[in-house]
Amino acid sequence: MAAIWTVLLLLLGTLSTPTTANLEGDALFAFRRGLKDPQHVLQSWDPTLVNPCTWFHVTCDKDNRVTRLDLGNAKLSGKLVSELGKLKHLQYLELYRNKLVGVIPKELGGLKSLLSLDLYHNNLTGSIPSSLSKLTNIRFLRLNSNRLTGRIPRQLTKLPNLKNLDVSNNDLCGTIPTSGSFYKFTEKSFENNSRLQGPELMGSVSYDIGFCN
Amino acid sequence: MFSLYSYYLLLLVLALNTSQYFGNMETEALLKWKANLLNDSPSLLPTWTTSNSSSYFNKTTTPCTWFGISCNNAGNVVKLNVSNLGLQGTLLNFKFSSFPYLTTLNLSSNALFGTIPASLGNLSDLTTLYLAVNQLSGSIPPEIGNLKSLVDLQLSNNTLTGSIPASLGNLSDLTTLYLWGNQLSGSIPPEIGNLKSLVDLQLSNNNLSGTIPASLGNLSDLTTLYLYENQLSGSIPASLGNLSDLTTLYLWENQLSGSIPPEIGNLKSLVDLEITTNNLNGTIPASLGNLSDLTTLYLWENQLSGSIPPEIGNLKSLVELVINTNNINGTIPASLGNLSDLTTLYLFRNQLSGSIPPEIGNLKSLVGLVIDTNNLNGTIPASLGNLSKLTILSLFRNHLSGSIPPHIGNLTNLKDVQLSNNTFSGNMPQNLCRGGSLENFTAAFNNFTGPIPKGLKNCSSLVRVRLDRNQLADNISEAFGVYPNLDYMDLSQNNLYGELSRTWGECHNLKHLSLSSNNISGSIPSELGKSTQLGKLDLSDNHLVGEIPKELMKLNLLIYLNLSHNELTGQLPREIGSLSELEHLDISSNNLSGPIPGEAGKCSKLLYLSLSCNIFNGSIPSQIGDLISLSILLDLSHNELMGGIPSEIGSLRNLENLNLSHNMLSGNIPSSFEEMKSLLSIDVSYNQLEGRIPTNKAFQKFSFDAFKNNKDLCGNVSGLRACDSSGTSKSNAIDKHKKTGYDTLLIFAGTQLFSITYPAITHFTRVLVT
Repeated sequence: MAAIWTVLLLLLGTLSTPTTANLEGDALFAFRRGLKDPQHVLQSWDPTLVNPCTWFHVTCDKDNRVTRLDLGNAKLSGKLVSELGKLKHLQYLELYRNKLVGVIPKELGGLKSLLSLDLYHNNLTGSIPSSLSKLTNIRFLRLNSNRLTGRIPRQLTKLPNLKNLDVSNNDLCGTIPTSGSFYKFTEKSFENNSRLQGPELMGSVSYDIGFCN
Repeated sequence: MFSLYSYYLLLLVLALNTSQYFGNMETEALLKWKANLLNDSPSLLPTWTTSNSSSYFNKTTTPCTWFGISCNNAGNVVKLNVSNLGLQGTLLNFKFSSFPYLTTLNLSSNALFGTIPASLGNLSDLTTLYLAVNQLSGSIPPEIGNLKSLVDLQLSNNTLTGSIPASLGNLSDLTTLYLWGNQLSGSIPPEIGNLKSLVDLQLSNNNLSGTIPASLGNLSDLTTLYLYENQLSGSIPASLGNLSDLTTLYLWENQLSGSIPPEIGNLKSLVDLEITTNNLNGTIPASLGNLSDLTTLYLWENQLSGSIPPEIGNLKSLVELVINTNNINGTIPASLGNLSDLTTLYLFRNQLSGSIPPEIGNLKSLVGLVIDTNNLNGTIPASLGNLSKLTILSLFRNHLSGSIPPHIGNLTNLKDVQLSNNTFSGNMPQNLCRGGSLENFTAAFNNFTGPIPKGLKNCSSLVRVRLDRNQLADNISEAFGVYPNLDYMDLSQNNLYGELSRTWGECHNLKHLSLSSNNISGSIPSELGKSTQLGKLDLSDNHLVGEIPKELMKLNLLIYLNLSHNELTGQLPREIGSLSELEHLDISSNNLSGPIPGEAGKCSKLLYLSLSCNIFNGSIPSQIGDLISLSILLDLSHNELMGGIPSEIGSLRNLENLNLSHNMLSGNIPSSFEEMKSLLSIDVSYNQLEGRIPTNKAFQKFSFDAFKNNKDLCGNVSGLRACDSSGTSKSNAIDKHKKTGYDTLLIFAGTQLFSITYPAITHFTRVLVT
């Protein structure tokens, strides 16, 4: 029995960084470690399980790969971690209405299966990473009601399936792209950004005009 | 004559003065250093003070009586030992040159900071230098290499940076070198290999890089070599095989590559070999079988390939064999059965094939047998029933078949039995939990038939049970008891029958209970509402009758509730609104009746709501519009709902799929539906709706099937008639389409993640870190 405990203790010592037993579970657990969770919504997130598919608020497909993360309205505070970008089968990243701070990690551009990115109603800062333009399947991109700054990356207009965009209620600047998939969005998607300079004028004026630091 | 006498007197005076001179120097230096400590006070080292002496030589005091000071016969300080006193300060104003006779300097376990002064290197008599467990920073001065008498050097557990000086290789008397627990970088200098007296070398827990110098193989007296937790790369030098006195070799958590050199098998004194978490490849050398004193062999988390050499079975002292998470293939050698002291055999996460050799049953000391996640086939040998000390048996994710030998159930120490994801068949061993210690029992995804093991009924130690996806047939009313520690229970997809027992309500720690897809009958016991930790409750796809007990609504931590595909009657209790954490509610395909309670609108976290295929009547309450989180699905189809569609449904901005089909809804589709920007699919067919469908572009994309078989809808969708100029339908309605028979099912636009039977998911407790 003492031998078992020696093994366990030695292994626990090397588990301050998680093992490679399940990359997706490890990525989610890295996310959990950076969060304050006063309502214990992440209490079921047990890293000793072989995969995270029975953790509450996590949904997997039949091959045990994470497809949904539903943590909206959970009073979470802390930061988004770059490890979240490792969830290659993630379709829905629902983190809205929390108290998340820090920037949107550029690694989220690696979520190639993503259909919905809902980070609205948080306290996120920094700019919208242009890497989000790699999310070719994305339908819903809702980043409204944060404190995001900088320009709206023009590359986002190339997102072929973008159905719903909301970046309102931030501190974005520069001009509003109007080409590509952005043609269908009304001013409602961009309102309450006091430094946003209105739709770009196609052809005549460079889209870079507008004061943006 | 007189001159000779005075000469001797002069010499005597001079001698006395000299020792006083040194006495002066040492006292002064010590007092000056003490005075410069940040926490200097009269209570710190109270003996370190000059007293009033009535001696003729009262100008000086020797420090030899002071705390921590030892002197030689001539009154010179030879030892300074002030460890563990919380001294806060630097060594910069410690005048080392005042202590030419010093042999021992122990300042460890204090709060000293700043750098190690080069002047330390002048202490040519120093044998012992302990500065460990402080906050010293900067580099190790190369002058330390001048301490030619040094035997014991401990600078561990500081914040030292920079490289290990090559000059340390000059310390030819050094037996102990501890530099561990710092931020030292650069390579290990090959000159360390010159330390011919070295016995104990610990450089672990630093940022050392580069290769392990082959010259370390010259350290012929070495018993302990700790290089773990660094960034060392390259191969393990074959010359390490020369260290015939080596008992402990720890190289774990580095980036070592290449193969394990066969010369390691020459380390005849070796007791503990740990090379885990590196990038080692190649095979495990057969020569390791020569290490007859070896008790611990850890090679886990590498990329080792090839088979386990049968010679490993020669390691007669072996207690722990841990080779998991590699690319090992071939079979488990039968010779491992000779390892009579073995307590731990972990071979999981490899590509081992063939069957489990019956000789494993000879391992009478075995406590943990963890061989999951391999390609093993064949049956479990009956001899495993002899492993009387076995606590952990983990065989999941292999291709094992046949029945479980019944004697496995006799093993009284079993705590953790994981058999999932194999093709086991036959009955489960009936007397499992005979010793009352079984906590984790997972056997999901097999072909087990027959009853639930009888031993589980009174197995009050149970924490996690997964028996889903088998063909177990048993009466569930009596098969289970009360489990105060039970956290997770999944019996879904079996042939269980009988009624739900009230005792589930007494499992006060139960967080996840799934009994779906069985033949369970009877009603849902109201006592289930006492299991207040429940987060997920799935009773779907059974033959449950009776009403949904109101008490179920007291489960205020419930996130997921699925009662669908049963024969439940009565109403949806209004108390449903108290389930404030509920995210998924499915009560579809029952015989529920009465109105949809408006209180349901209080479940503000609902993402998925299906009430379809019941006989709900009355109108859709406007409070449904309060379910602002609703996104995956709102399905009220196939009921008897009437009245208008509340415009509040248009507030459901995140809703992706809406199905109101097959009801008796009348009036218009509210224009507020244009606000539903996330809508991917809609079905309002087979109702009594009329008027213009919403005019926005998104609605024009829906097909005719979404709107057909209504009273008089019009709009810009092919198949629907165009609206007249007033936008209202004509009073004399055009013949409605009448399809005979065939019901159109709603097809969710490729985003359906929840199927009627919950998707098969496997998860298993990691034995290693339970």
